[in-house]
Amino acid sequence: MRKPVSRTPPWVAPVAVVAAVALLVAAFLLIRWYTTPLAPPPLTVDATQLVITSITSLPSSELDAVGTGSANNQIKKVSGSPLTGPNGHPEVFYMGAEYCPYCAAERWPMIIALSRFGAFTGLKTTSSSSTDVYPNTPTFTFHGATYASQYVDFVSVETTDRNQNPLESPTSAQQALVKQYDTSGSIPFVDFGDRYAFNGAMYLPDVLSGMSWTAVGDSLAQPTSPQAKAILGSANLITAAVCKLTADQPATVCSSSTIQSIEKTLG
Amino acid sequence: MRWQLAAVAASVAGLGISIYLTAVHYAGVPLACPANGTISCEAVLSSKFGVIVGSTLPTSAAGIVWFAVSMLLWTRPAGRTQLAWSAIGLVTVLFLVYIEIVQLGVICIWCSAAHVLVLVIFLVALLRVNGGRVTP
Repeated sequence: MRKPVSRTPPWVAPVAVVAAVALLVAAFLLIRWYTTPLAPPPLTVDATQLVITSITSLPSSELDAVGTGSANNQIKKVSGSPLTGPNGHPEVFYMGAEYCPYCAAERWPMIIALSRFGAFTGLKTTSSSSTDVYPNTPTFTFHGATYASQYVDFVSVETTDRNQNPLESPTSAQQALVKQYDTSGSIPFVDFGDRYAFNGAMYLPDVLSGMSWTAVGDSLAQPTSPQAKAILGSANLITAAVCKLTADQPATVCSSSTIQSIEKTLG
Repeated sequence: MRWQLAAVAASVAGLGISIYLTAVHYAGVPLACPANGTISCEAVLSSKFGVIVGSTLPTSAAGIVWFAVSMLLWTRPAGRTQLAWSAIGLVTVLFLVYIEIVQLGVICIWCSAAHVLVLVIFLVALLRVNGGRVTP
């Protein structure tokens, strides 16, 4: 008598595939957990100042050499009532959050660009959230910092810290401004005197992945580095937008051929 | 026939999702998608992996092609062609899931919905081939 041939039930293969896919996803999560860089400890006040000094004293020739670099021009012309800051100058308004990696990326060029028109004090180092995309992107926070300039006023709102705890709240006027131009609600949002605005970062934060603040600062001294092309390119775009607000003052910054040619593209 | 209909339905749903993501990409309008630390469609779709390498075409455009072909294939009785096509889809999906979890550390729920549909289509193809009703 022949023994009946045992046949694998048809459901076994699909169940095995589902189990294999689940295992693979678990493995991906494990890899992610192991490879996520730890948040670097914040720099001391002195070390922070060294980095700030280094990135804000780059020669104009280097900024000119980079042009717009690898930055993606996100700045759009808007037509609102001119926005004036607390000191009566055209206002540059920023809204972001410390956890946000795109804000982390964008603060570097904002600090470099605005430092060409004035000076920051009280900037502190921080990094974006450890649990968001582009984790622990090194940056500075505008929370607790002040800015002084004879050309523009800078107003910032950092809504939460890097762990998404509330930090600062926008006024109703600021909320209305953001709502008007930033329909997707994405941050950072930057408004230049209600004449130009953009939201999002002009470059992807992965260019700063795993770097210390000092390493980023050092990389900006080399115009061909990916960081310089991204950050200084973005800084030139921001500089051009600010020059539009200040009627090309100061001339030492705004009259450069690079800034003038970017200004033409802004309209 | 019931399984075949399920595969066609999954292909149509996947095609709809892919068309939606592609339309949003070109229209530049906000995507209907919650955003928190772990879920962010925008973070995934605006990353360098949001477009097909060496082009400006969104990755979802490849999804349109894959689901459209799948839909056409499943109008015929199940066979090795559907299994091979869905296997290609599944391998691509696993790569995309790797990108989302390991490289970006964030999940796009629209993409995940399309990924689940690819898995469903593969399982149907496998079940039909394993069930013995195979056409060459």
